[in-house]
Amino acid sequence: MKLDEFRILFLVAGLVLTLIAASPALSLISLPRSGERFSELWLLGPEHKAENYPFNVRNMKQYRIYVGVGNQLGELAYYAVYVKFRNQTQQLPNSKMSEPSPLPPLYEFRFVLSDGKVWEAPLTFTIEGNFSLVQNISINGIVFPVNRISTWDSDRNGFYYQMFFELWLYNMTSKSFQYHDRFVGLWLNMTGS
Amino acid sequence: MISTSKLSVILTVLFLFLLPAFILRVSASSEEMATLAITQAEETVASAYEAVLEAEQARANVSELLDQLNVAGGHLAEAHMLFRLGDFDGAVHFAEISSEIGMDVKNEAEELKIEAYGSWITSLWIRIIGSIVGVIAVVFGTLLAWRVFKRRYFRQV
Repeated sequence: MKLDEFRILFLVAGLVLTLIAASPALSLISLPRSGERFSELWLLGPEHKAENYPFNVRNMKQYRIYVGVGNQLGELAYYAVYVKFRNQTQQLPNSKMSEPSPLPPLYEFRFVLSDGKVWEAPLTFTIEGNFSLVQNISINGIVFPVNRISTWDSDRNGFYYQMFFELWLYNMTSKSFQYHDRFVGLWLNMTGS
Repeated sequence: MISTSKLSVILTVLFLFLLPAFILRVSASSEEMATLAITQAEETVASAYEAVLEAEQARANVSELLDQLNVAGGHLAEAHMLFRLGDFDGAVHFAEISSEIGMDVKNEAEELKIEAYGSWITSLWIRIIGSIVGVIAVVFGTLLAWRVFKRRYFRQV
């Protein structure tokens, strides 16, 4: 090997060792997180799986589901989940306009969640009423008067209601919760009640 | 002179007449108190969240604070639900608990943030100085090794 080739070898080895020596300081440089930032919202059935969701519900019978939220926003987030109940004619959230349903919430959850973590909570509910009128709905032991009337749905042959969950996120700029454009729903067939 | 029996009848009628107004006023005042307590709890929990977020960004371990903050959030949610159901006393109760926990969390988060920031600064200096010393040692070491190597190389040639 010629001296010039050895020189290059020494230069490369020196550069690699310099980078290793500088690595403690270089590790302080944090690159901005790449990728999409979003939140997840889901419902699971009574066995904590995406199956056997309550559908044909009966008067005064207790049902259990799980509601979950995942934080992929890159930082700690403060969430609220609002539980609402509607008949077929009442409004759902408007996904195109990113607007929540105008219906008032019944039950609610509020929690903070670190980035990359998930939150889950059980929700038991009991419906009090008959196929065409739901008077009360009990959620996790709290009774909410709702008095929702349903009419016969000829397309699906039944009397239907929907329990749905909206995800809201605390906005530090406006100092208030804002609808986070995520909702999930559970159709409930009260025909056989 | 009005007799005692007449006076008691007049007072009873007056009392019955004023009672609904009194009840309404008490109810309105309970609602106002509940609104105030909930607003205060909202602000406290939100500022606690912001303090915890800052502490986390300063690399403090906030896992315990998050648990406490979630308890405060749960109570605040309970206060909101009871308020909507017209249970203003219950709403005040839960809002006050939420405020207390939120305040504790905020104070602890601020202390943790200061501690974490201090240790981060120390670690920053150690890393920077360590790196500078390491780089200087490597540069001089490589140059020295190159000179020794070159001398031996020419001796052999």
